Amino acid sequence: MSIKIQNISKSFGSFKALDDIHIHIKTGELVALLGPSGSGKTTLLRIIAGLEAADQGSILFGNEDITHIRTKERKVGFVFQHYALFRHMSVFDNVAYGLKVRPRKSRPSKKEIEERVYELLRLVKLEAYANRYPTQLSGGQRQRVALARALAVEPKVLLLDEPFGALDAKVRKDLRRWLRRLHDNFQITSIFVTHDQEEALDVADRVVIMNEGRIEQIGSPEEVYDHPNSPFVYDFLGNVNLFRGRLHKGKLHQGNFQIDAPEFSDAENKTAIGYVRPHDISIEKEENSKDGVSAVIKHIHVVGPIVHLELKRNDTEEYLEAELTKDLYNNLQLKTGEKVFVKPKQLRVFIPEDYTI
Amino acid sequence: MAGYIPMQQTNPPLESSRSTTEPRLVRFFLIAIVIVFLSLFLVLPLIAIFVKAFDKGIDVYFASIRHPDALAAIKLTLIVALIIVPLNAIFGIAAAWLVSKFDFKGKNILITIIDLPFAVSPVIAGLVFVLLFGTHGFLGPWLFEHDIKIIFAVPGIVLATLFVTLPFVARELIPLMQAQGSAEEEASFTLGANGWKTFLFVTLPKIKWGLLYGVILCNARSIGEFGAVSVVSGHIRGLTNTMPLHIEILYNEYQFSAAFAVASLMSILAIVTLVVKNFIEWKTKTNK
Repeated sequence: MSIKIQNISKSFGSFKALDDIHIHIKTGELVALLGPSGSGKTTLLRIIAGLEAADQGSILFGNEDITHIRTKERKVGFVFQHYALFRHMSVFDNVAYGLKVRPRKSRPSKKEIEERVYELLRLVKLEAYANRYPTQLSGGQRQRVALARALAVEPKVLLLDEPFGALDAKVRKDLRRWLRRLHDNFQITSIFVTHDQEEALDVADRVVIMNEGRIEQIGSPEEVYDHPNSPFVYDFLGNVNLFRGRLHKGKLHQGNFQIDAPEFSDAENKTAIGYVRPHDISIEKEENSKDGVSAVIKHIHVVGPIVHLELKRNDTEEYLEAELTKDLYNNLQLKTGEKVFVKPKQLRVFIPEDYTI
Repeated sequence: MAGYIPMQQTNPPLESSRSTTEPRLVRFFLIAIVIVFLSLFLVLPLIAIFVKAFDKGIDVYFASIRHPDALAAIKLTLIVALIIVPLNAIFGIAAAWLVSKFDFKGKNILITIIDLPFAVSPVIAGLVFVLLFGTHGFLGPWLFEHDIKIIFAVPGIVLATLFVTLPFVARELIPLMQAQGSAEEEASFTLGANGWKTFLFVTLPKIKWGLLYGVILCNARSIGEFGAVSVVSGHIRGLTNTMPLHIEILYNEYQFSAAFAVASLMSILAIVTLVVKNFIEWKTKTNK
């Protein structure tokens, strides 16, 4: 079931939560809505589920306009941020709920319900917990019950609101992989909301990056990470270093170093900011070329195979972050307090008039 | 005048370590004060009721309870409670639902109005109905023409009691439902349940102990209400006398044993209510 979101807007009082949102989601796609808190991503998800009404715009499931159809008829599976399991029901009853409340005509028999529930509980590896109550389960188990409950009604669309938000890092990673496999097996169109960029890039087919009620960029994880189209996206997807300087005839000048920025070849003396990812910064011990920036290593932290460096530029006193592999780090034999030369390998220039962070 | 009593006084069990407990003498003194106070003002009067009730022997006791006027008063009291409690339960759930699930202008005013009967003296509550429905009241002439009796009749008693007990269930449920939020109800909707099924299978089980607690308080109050009912009832023996009014009449006629016999019956009702209330409190705690 494809989903078309067409010029959806929503305000809460004077606060504009969503401003003219357009997204087209293909059948079977797994899409992440990514953004900081207050960016409107959860509101959008709730509008798709019918739990919130849009001020304008329409939502189509396939070719059917469901904008004015009530939640219970939309056939969406919704997994809530804090699971929203029925506290007074056992795991079995939670999963069976969607089938049990069907009108008599379409309700499966007791035996069929039981088979279906156990099938789902097997899927989420919780058959042994059928008689437990939600309070007796761990966070990860509750999350899986919530998923099984949502899947029990055979939804056409699966919506997940911060599905792994309340879990610890290890469980989160496991569940994320598991969700991806589940999605690949079921091929059900899914949208999940997250503020964790790593999660979005790791799981989703496509990522929708939202900010202040607007869409900043839509694309595959690789696209949005490698080619952010705005400073916001650059900043939001991972760490970034800023090189403030002057843009003149396709070159960004800053102090006594300059870098090519060919896409701005006709720019004349404009202030601009270059964005560089920490892993796109190369470190040299000797000044090999003129466009290196001299800096002092302030801190070194080694996390597994990656070494994070915190550097302070000697010219502008600004701090920079760099990441290198452990091999390179060992080869260079870097030490805290050492003077090195820093050079951006890849940089993207934005002119601040167009964007503000 | 009963105030708002929160559903649970959550006193986390204090770890009794040396550094946090009071000296032995202070503890002894505090406990003594509580015991003396409770015995003087609660236990002693309760014993006195029963002593006085059986003052003239068991026969007089049962005779005064079996007296037609007493039986009529008991019957009326129970009928009023039977009408009041379901009405208040329905109103309480509706009001709590409205307040906790929707945002609208004037919500705070609504909550304040629900609290009004707690703030107004019962006598005034009774007088309001006399002013409205009495012979010289606002709607009196119209009611007289249509031969509808409200004041000095059962409808008046029901109305006055309803007014006085109005906040009990609502007051109990509003904070409870506000704290619980509506995520589970939303989950129920996404799973295809309609509003009624959602209420029946999701909301009601969540609030049942709070609801029962409110119902019990409401019941206790409707049985025991004196002031408001006294104003509107007219004290017609065998017709519009509730138990508290009947006790007052007997007492004023110096029939002390009979008065205390009926009073003892009410005390038993109250004690049963308290026991049930405690059971529910215990049950709510274990359910958490």
